[in-house]
Order: sequence, then C-alpha cells, then structure tokens
Amino acid sequence: MTLVLASQLPALIVLLVLGAVAKVLTVRSGGEVGSLARLGPAALVPARVEVPMLIVCAIGELVIATGLLVTTAPIFRWMAVAFFAMCTYVLLEVRRRRPDVGCGCFGEVSGAPVGLRSVARTTVLTGMAVLSLWAEEPGWLAFAQPSWFVAAGIVVLLVLSPELEEMADRLRYRAPCEQRRGPAVEVTLARLRSSGPWRLHQEQLTAAEPYDSWRELCWRFFAFERRDGADVVFAVYLSGRRPAVRVAVVNAEDSGAMPVYTPVSA
Amino acid sequence: MGYPSVERRRVLAAAALGREVGAPGSEQADPLRAVMGDIRDISPHLVIIETPEGDEERLVIAPWATAWHGGELVPGDLPVGSTVIMRTLRDGRVVERLWAGITRLTGTILSVEGRKDVTVQLDCGPHRGRRTIVVPYRATGRILVRHARFEPGFLFDAIGIRKDGVSLALLPATSQPAYPARAVPAPPPAYAGLQSRISGTATWSDVFDEEDRGAAYPMVERSDVGCSDAEVSCVGLPYLAIGSMLQVRNACTHRSANVPIVACGCVAGRFCDRCVECDTSPRGRIVELSPFSYVELGGDLVKGCFNAQIGLG
Repeated sequence: MTLVLASQLPALIVLLVLGAVAKVLTVRSGGEVGSLARLGPAALVPARVEVPMLIVCAIGELVIATGLLVTTAPIFRWMAVAFFAMCTYVLLEVRRRRPDVGCGCFGEVSGAPVGLRSVARTTVLTGMAVLSLWAEEPGWLAFAQPSWFVAAGIVVLLVLSPELEEMADRLRYRAPCEQRRGPAVEVTLARLRSSGPWRLHQEQLTAAEPYDSWRELCWRFFAFERRDGADVVFAVYLSGRRPAVRVAVVNAEDSGAMPVYTPVSA
Repeated sequence: MGYPSVERRRVLAAAALGREVGAPGSEQADPLRAVMGDIRDISPHLVIIETPEGDEERLVIAPWATAWHGGELVPGDLPVGSTVIMRTLRDGRVVERLWAGITRLTGTILSVEGRKDVTVQLDCGPHRGRRTIVVPYRATGRILVRHARFEPGFLFDAIGIRKDGVSLALLPATSQPAYPARAVPAPPPAYAGLQSRISGTATWSDVFDEEDRGAAYPMVERSDVGCSDAEVSCVGLPYLAIGSMLQVRNACTHRSANVPIVACGCVAGRFCDRCVECDTSPRGRIVELSPFSYVELGGDLVKGCFNAQIGLG
C-alpha cells in the first residue's frame, strides 16, 4: 500500500521542476513584458509585478519539489497539496476573469486559453498530492523503485496536458527561416570561420572582425575590407549546422546601379 | 542614424547572392512627385516656395487642386510662411494637392494633463524621443472617440498641424488598438513557406529627414540596429535590414515604387490596426514611409494610411 501512496511523488516532483524551469526560461527569454500578460497568474496582477510573480511561483515550486524529494516532512506534503489546490483555484479564476489567456503552467508553451483539461490536470495533481500525504518514504525512494502506478499517473497527466499538442504543432508547422529569430551574430560568425570560403580569403583581410554585418531574410552578411581596398562580403545561410556560405569581392569604386534622385525642378 | 555603409549593403548583398541591385524610385509612366518648401507667396494659380536648399521655385496650381491646413481650404488661402508639402504632376511643375504645416503624432501615451485643452506627452520610440502635443478642445471629441483608452501605456496616433512651435492634434489617424503598447498580439502561425507579397497598411511619419525617401520597417534584427524595441509586429514579416530595398505597392492607387529601408519601425510595429482607405486592409502596419515616399505613392497625408502590399525590391 505504501508503494501506491508514494507512487505519485515522482510525477509531482518532475512536474514541479519542469514548471519552475519553464517559468524561469519564459521570464529570461521574454523581452516583451506584454507577452507575459497572456500567461496565467501574471494575468491577474498589475503589469509591474508580472515578472516577480512568475519568479515567486517558480521558487515556490522548486522548494516544494526539493522537500518532497529528500524528506518525509509533512510540511512539504501539505505545501504541495495547498499549492496544487491553489493552482486549481487560480486556473478557475483565470478561466472566469480572463478567458483569453493561457494558464502559463509551463511558461510560454501553455499559451492556449485555459480549458477543462488544464483544470482537470491540477485537480488530479491535488488528488495525487493528497494521496502522498500518508506515504512513508521520501520521493527519491519512489524514483529508485518505479512501479506501474508511477507510469499510470504519468499517462493520466500526459493525456490531460494541452501543451503536448502545442509542441507537436510547433514542430510540424515551424515558421519559415525568414521569419524565425536567427542565431546570435557571434554564432553565425563562428560558422563562417569554419567554412571553406573563409579560409580562401582569410589571408587577404585587413581585420578579423567584420566592419559591417546585417541580416536579410535567411542570410546574414559580413563585410570585410581587403588589403587592396576592395570589399569582401560573405553571406551565411542562417539555417542548418553547416550552412551554405557565399562570397563575393566587390571593388571599392564599383557602387553598382545607384541612381541619385534628380532635383525637383530640373 | 549612424549606418555609414547602408547604401553599400545593397550592392554587397546583391554581389554575394548574385542578384540584381534594386534601384530606388518608381517606374510609373506618370510619376507623382512630392515637393516641399516654405510658402513665400501664394495666389489661386501660382505658388512660390523656398526649398530647404534655399532655392526659389514657382509652381502652377492646377484648377482642381485642394489644400489642407487644419481643414480643407482653397489653395490661395494658405498662410504665407508655412511649410508645405505638395503632390505635383508633370515633373514637379503642376501642384494638385497641398498640405501646409501638417504633422503626425504617433507614439505611446506617457501622461495626459489638462481638462479643456489636453496636453499629452508621447513616447515616439527609442530613436525619436518624446514629444509634447496639445489636443485643442474643439478636437477632443473626435480624438477621444477613436482613442478609447486615453491613458498612459496605450497607443496614440493623430494628424495635426504645427502652429507657433506647438503640435496640435486635430484628426485621429486610427482607431486606437485595444491593447497596451507593450502587449502587441503575436503574428498568426506561419504554415506554409514565405509569401512573396505581404499585405497590410502603410502609414507615414514626419520624423524622417526632410526630402528623404525611405521607409521604417518593424522586422529588423535587434542586434543590427541596436534597438530593443524592434522585431515586434502582429504580421508575419520576414527579417530585413536597414539598407534593404522594399517594393511598396499602393493597393488603392495601384502605384508602386522601390523604397529603401532607412530606419527601424519599432513604433509602427506596435500598431495592429487596419486601414480603410479603399477597402479593409489586413491587420498590421507593415511599413512606415517618409512623407515624400508616401505622397509619391499616391497617399493622402490627411487620411494617414493606405492599403499596401510589400515585396522585396
């Protein structure tokens, strides 16, 4: 029987840790403060405390997860029950007051409006937390001795997770490279430096750093000056591990077809 | 802005990818030309202006010409000394539309003060600084009815005139988007490959240099332009750079022109609104043009926008 009682601890711990990590990642990557306003608990508080709210949530989850993992102290068990019960309430409240926002349970992936499945998931989690109140062993033991009950719990949670479909959709329908945020300039520059065209021209460049760099569609361009005054321009494709690199040498005076506007009344 | 080699970028990119270097300007048979200057003298049939270079020019006013200076006027009634932008035909000799002292006030509301004449402080974006504008009492009704959330943090867009150094907002340029400026909706998911042409609305802004032909585009890499507010748009736009050539087509007048990107459109990208100039456009400002480019594409500065299609020039 103790096996049954403790069996849900691994699921709870993993979910808590995942939730915390996802929230922190969302806060770190989310340059736009406004996008957080579409996420669960942050939607219910004023804009300036949105970020602290998500971080407090994440810290709380981590504390509870650690407590469940290493101790049998009832305080952490009760905290888990209280936490998931509160989540259920918050989700119901979000659903009632802001039907357009996502639950934010796993950060930005949980952007779909709160549905019955999300609510059912927190209810099941509350049930699991209540069940583990009477478990006699700490969480790590349940990890060490997995059972079918652990698997059953996880399957129930997976079925109730709308995020899975969201992630599958994101993989299936990726935005074209032209619209995706590209890798950092330094990463692309490193890829350029490991390419053949670079080795071919490297000797003749005056400086190792480009004097200009810009991105257009799926290409990033690096412009270098050559010893004889000409420009060497490299174009690096932004997608793929070993991207295509193109190169051209343009003479300084070759300004191409750049007509100037004639004055208004010629 | 300090991008010394922006013009060069186009040449270099074209050389690297083996494509044609796009030339700015229009290939229309009867091009419109925008002319700007300070009015020295004006009569019903002739206007004499001083251009920003200090030259004097005489232009014929067409019989059907109309003028705007806070309201529709007969061209002859425009005040001497005001700065005027004109849409001209026949190589800039015949004027058919005049806008005197027109200015556009676009940004995020920072503060709202006053009861009759409302003083509004606007944040016009990281490159354009702040602006203090006045909504005169007679215009408050018109402005407020299109700006439902007239409070700090929300967007503002109006067209007005400059008078004695003060910018007066007279006409709303849009129905204010219902979200705060920091919470722009995400673009719809992109399913298939990139579309070659993207539709939306094109607006104008008077913060470009005088007589500049160019565009501000929202989707430029933040690290390239050093602007943390870029890359925001509710339209699925491809990434381009300052210096890239855009082909802008006015869907209302069927005029098109190649316009270089000269600035980061970080304010324009926050507006997820429509233009109803000739038809209802899809949502989102895809490009913000300088007044000259806007006028030469056949846009009316008072209307504030036209339905546009953009492609890579």
